[in-house]
Amino acid sequence: MDDILKTLTRRSFAASRARNWIAVLAIALTAVLFTAITTIVIGTAESFTLTIQMQKMSQSDGDLRYMTEEQFEALHQADFIDTAGLRMPVAFLTNASRHNIEFNIEDEIQAELTFCVPTHGRTPSAANEVVASDLALRDLGIEPEVGAEIMIAFTAHGQHYTLPMIVSGWYEALNSQMSVLWAGTAFREEHPEIFRYTFSADRELAGTYWSDFTVRSTLNLEKKLRELVFGLGGEPDDMNAPNYMPAVVNQVTNTRPSFFQITATVVFAALFMLCGYLLIYNVFDIAVMQDIRRFGLYRTIGMSRKQVRRLINQQAFWLSCIGIPLGLLVGFFTGKAALPLIMNMVVTEYRHLAADVSPSSALFLTAAALTALTVFCSTRKPIRIAANTPPIDAFRYVENSGGRRASRKSALGTSIPRLAWSNLGRNRQRTAFIMLSLTLCVVLLNCAGTAADSVDVEKETAFMMRTDFAVVNEASTSNFKGFVRRSDALKAKTIADIAARPGITDGSVVYKNTAEDTNVTYDFGHSLTGETYRNDSSGLTFGYDHVYNHYGLGDDGRMICNVYGMAENALARMDLREGETNPHVLYEKMAAGDGILVGVGVNRRDMSFVPMLDLADVGQIITVYKNGTPIMELPILAKAALNGDDQEIGFTVNGPNEIGGDGLFLYLPANIYEKLYEQPTVYKYSFNIEDEYEAEMTAFLEDYMKTTDPSMNYLSAQSARKSSEGTQQMIRFVGGFVGLIFGLAGVLNLINTIITTILTRRQEFAAMESVGMTRRQLTGMMVWEGVYYAAGACLFGLVLAAALNLTLVKSLVDSMWQFTFHFTLLPALGACVVLLLVSAVVPILALRCFRKGSIVEQLRITE
Amino acid sequence: MDIVTVQNLKKYFGSGPRQVRAVDGISLSIEKGKLTAVIGASGSGKTTLLNLIGGLYKPTEGTVIIDGVNLGRLQEEELTIFRRRKIGFVFQDCNLVPELTVRENILFPLALDNSRPDMIFFEKLTGLLGLQEKLDDFPYMLSGGGQQCTAIARALIARPAIILADEPTGSFDAKTSQNVAGLLKMTTDTFHQTLIMITHNLELAQLADYVVRLQDGRIVQ
Repeated sequence: MDDILKTLTRRSFAASRARNWIAVLAIALTAVLFTAITTIVIGTAESFTLTIQMQKMSQSDGDLRYMTEEQFEALHQADFIDTAGLRMPVAFLTNASRHNIEFNIEDEIQAELTFCVPTHGRTPSAANEVVASDLALRDLGIEPEVGAEIMIAFTAHGQHYTLPMIVSGWYEALNSQMSVLWAGTAFREEHPEIFRYTFSADRELAGTYWSDFTVRSTLNLEKKLRELVFGLGGEPDDMNAPNYMPAVVNQVTNTRPSFFQITATVVFAALFMLCGYLLIYNVFDIAVMQDIRRFGLYRTIGMSRKQVRRLINQQAFWLSCIGIPLGLLVGFFTGKAALPLIMNMVVTEYRHLAADVSPSSALFLTAAALTALTVFCSTRKPIRIAANTPPIDAFRYVENSGGRRASRKSALGTSIPRLAWSNLGRNRQRTAFIMLSLTLCVVLLNCAGTAADSVDVEKETAFMMRTDFAVVNEASTSNFKGFVRRSDALKAKTIADIAARPGITDGSVVYKNTAEDTNVTYDFGHSLTGETYRNDSSGLTFGYDHVYNHYGLGDDGRMICNVYGMAENALARMDLREGETNPHVLYEKMAAGDGILVGVGVNRRDMSFVPMLDLADVGQIITVYKNGTPIMELPILAKAALNGDDQEIGFTVNGPNEIGGDGLFLYLPANIYEKLYEQPTVYKYSFNIEDEYEAEMTAFLEDYMKTTDPSMNYLSAQSARKSSEGTQQMIRFVGGFVGLIFGLAGVLNLINTIITTILTRRQEFAAMESVGMTRRQLTGMMVWEGVYYAAGACLFGLVLAAALNLTLVKSLVDSMWQFTFHFTLLPALGACVVLLLVSAVVPILALRCFRKGSIVEQLRITE
Repeated sequence: MDIVTVQNLKKYFGSGPRQVRAVDGISLSIEKGKLTAVIGASGSGKTTLLNLIGGLYKPTEGTVIIDGVNLGRLQEEELTIFRRRKIGFVFQDCNLVPELTVRENILFPLALDNSRPDMIFFEKLTGLLGLQEKLDDFPYMLSGGGQQCTAIARALIARPAIILADEPTGSFDAKTSQNVAGLLKMTTDTFHQTLIMITHNLELAQLADYVVRLQDGRIVQ
């Protein structure tokens, strides 16, 4: 007997094709929204993880270091380890120039986990075979080619080796600064002296076993690893212990979403559910309204509420069965197509960008579940109305539940626009839903537009760069190095070649002290605790103060600080805040040996000095020591707010961190600096350029870097600007996408309502025509109805957008330093124009499509 | 034996000076197997009375007892099930389900009740109403009379205690009206069904065993 109910559901479904397509479209659109966003979110997260994994050169779950052979063998027995690679670091090659080349013994598992599987050729088998990256091979002076001969030079156990090797395979380097050149275990058999384990005695890495591994489950991985290390007889914490064996969990692979990410996901999911709800609810509400008489009949002849609910639920289920898979497919491919675009916009600093997402059950299940939940929520009320409307009331149901007296809405003797206005209140809830979705479209577009417009590209660029170009040694731009040693200097010939180019204005070299300049120290009365440590990278000793700020110390135990020497034009570009703020006067005084300029790191949001870094006051005396003897007493003449460019370059501050640490940033005129330091080292050449030469200079520097001075690197204001513009585009894209979806939801609701109006009021329209209303007037009336919806939404949208701009958006924007609030209503106005046009066109098309036949035929139409 | 007992039945709509007393203190008893015609001018309360008897309205006052069951004591869902099993409806405009065939329309109330149809009864009923050749047709393929016969068959298929017919011939021409009314009478007679029928047609009313005339919500005859 259930068959008849099923038949009824099926045939009712088939009979309402137009309405069902709208419902399918609404469900599909919701599914598209969820799938596209889920695809983008999962894809971005995966791609970002993979990008960083590639950058960090490991996709393992963790790694263990400094093991003996026995410990390495025992590692494989651990039950939670899935796969473990072999890595025996030998040394960094000493005959590499620009690119850092790490020479290891590896197996294929390790190569796979660290992105150095040869993409050309094969893995090494003979003792003299190696696999290297293209960048490594070029740095060693050959083009990547299987079978090519190279020389590798390295030091292990204090012994210098220079060995000829054959390239058995090569791969494309994923990290521009560093890559691995690896040989197989045959090399170890050939050179057993290199692989003597002496780490516990002398910290020699050659001879130690390392392993990148994957695990069966990352649950409690840190705890499991610590237990494993102790089980192997290692010590995971004490760096000085002879059996030191750090167990490192790969935080990139095992990232946990932050509170912000979870909140953003929930907010977006809720927003999309609301959008889907607005859409689907309206579709079902209209469907129920159209069928309410039928439900009344069913109820009269004995259909229970439960059966009515089941009937509509079945229809919703079927519609979902069509709409959801359709939306999942469209959404997935939309998201997949958008992913590279978004990744390119979001991540500008990675050369090797992974931007792909694979269809996964988690992705589709999440999107399908969210869509199904939205359909479920959206259909509750219409179903309740259908099931609970008493049979007789359903028979008499007329869509005018507003409760206002007809006389108040009477349009007799009024104009077409007023007639249209009176029709809007027929279903206030539906009117509200259309208005809400259209309003949200306007508001969201405007919020996104405001946020995007508020990205202060110039502010961010200015923080990274004070000039059009800054040329440095590539060490300054390396995350692994920084400007630390005199060997990291920018070559004089490079500066001369660049300075000879046309269009350069305001060129200036900047000196900076290095790890070798430990005989020049500074005292400004800041006391340290006496606790020290040695920085392996710079070789300097660092001391702490009472708040654990660390300071690079010179030969006499005083601070060496980060000290810069520059010409007046370079100093003039700095942001002088306190004391003498006239750069010319300041420079003159400083050049005469009458004082010094101190730079203080700033809070990027309001560009105020960071109190913790503001260690000295104007007027305070800084005593300069050379070889332990005080040679100058320089009063602080002024204090400047530092940006990235004043410290190193862009956002890279490795160099200052390795030298002066948290000590003062001191700025001296070139003449004083040259007197003070025995070998003044140029770390940067900054310059502006006339506009017409900018592209030419970029091309020149790119070429020069490749062909003449590979140790050089540069940053341009244009590239810094591009990075900032990426953020702007991203906000526009995401905000525009969400706004567009809401707009679509609103327009779909509008279309649905207009079509329903035309279908349900056919007799009424025919009656109007029969008493003299022309088709043109009828069309005009419907156009006015559509325009009223859009105009109302636009009005509310503009007011709400303005209010949100000045409150929520402003407070959000003000909390991020890269933004400067910029009020705009242009996106909202643009959206309004489009919505008004669409709302005028929809009724015209709908009347053409759905209202055919003579007045008499229309009058005869019954439900 | 009375199958329907109505006592002091009242149904008022609205309140205050605008209050409409659609049914105002009607008491009547209807004998099982008999045809009762309810007549009266428009607005006299005929349809309201029928809806009250059918449990579609809750009375303002009074009781409706059908086959020994006081409708006022039934919960909403119980009333739905009672209506499904004990009351058959025939409407002026047939109200067939357009997506279902004649056969499916007739069997629809049983389907809602998960009941198996008595196929012998079904064939006898459809044969009597001349629907046997049209069982697989859809309602739009039938004439007005054919559609109403289907509605009558649908009302009778569950062998309800009473059939309520609200102007079942109201939208037909005189000849079709007579045919439909005749078939309705014949069918209810054949299956000993109790029928309460609203009609404006006095000729049809004459077919009835009893005639109830209403005026301003009260029985005047």
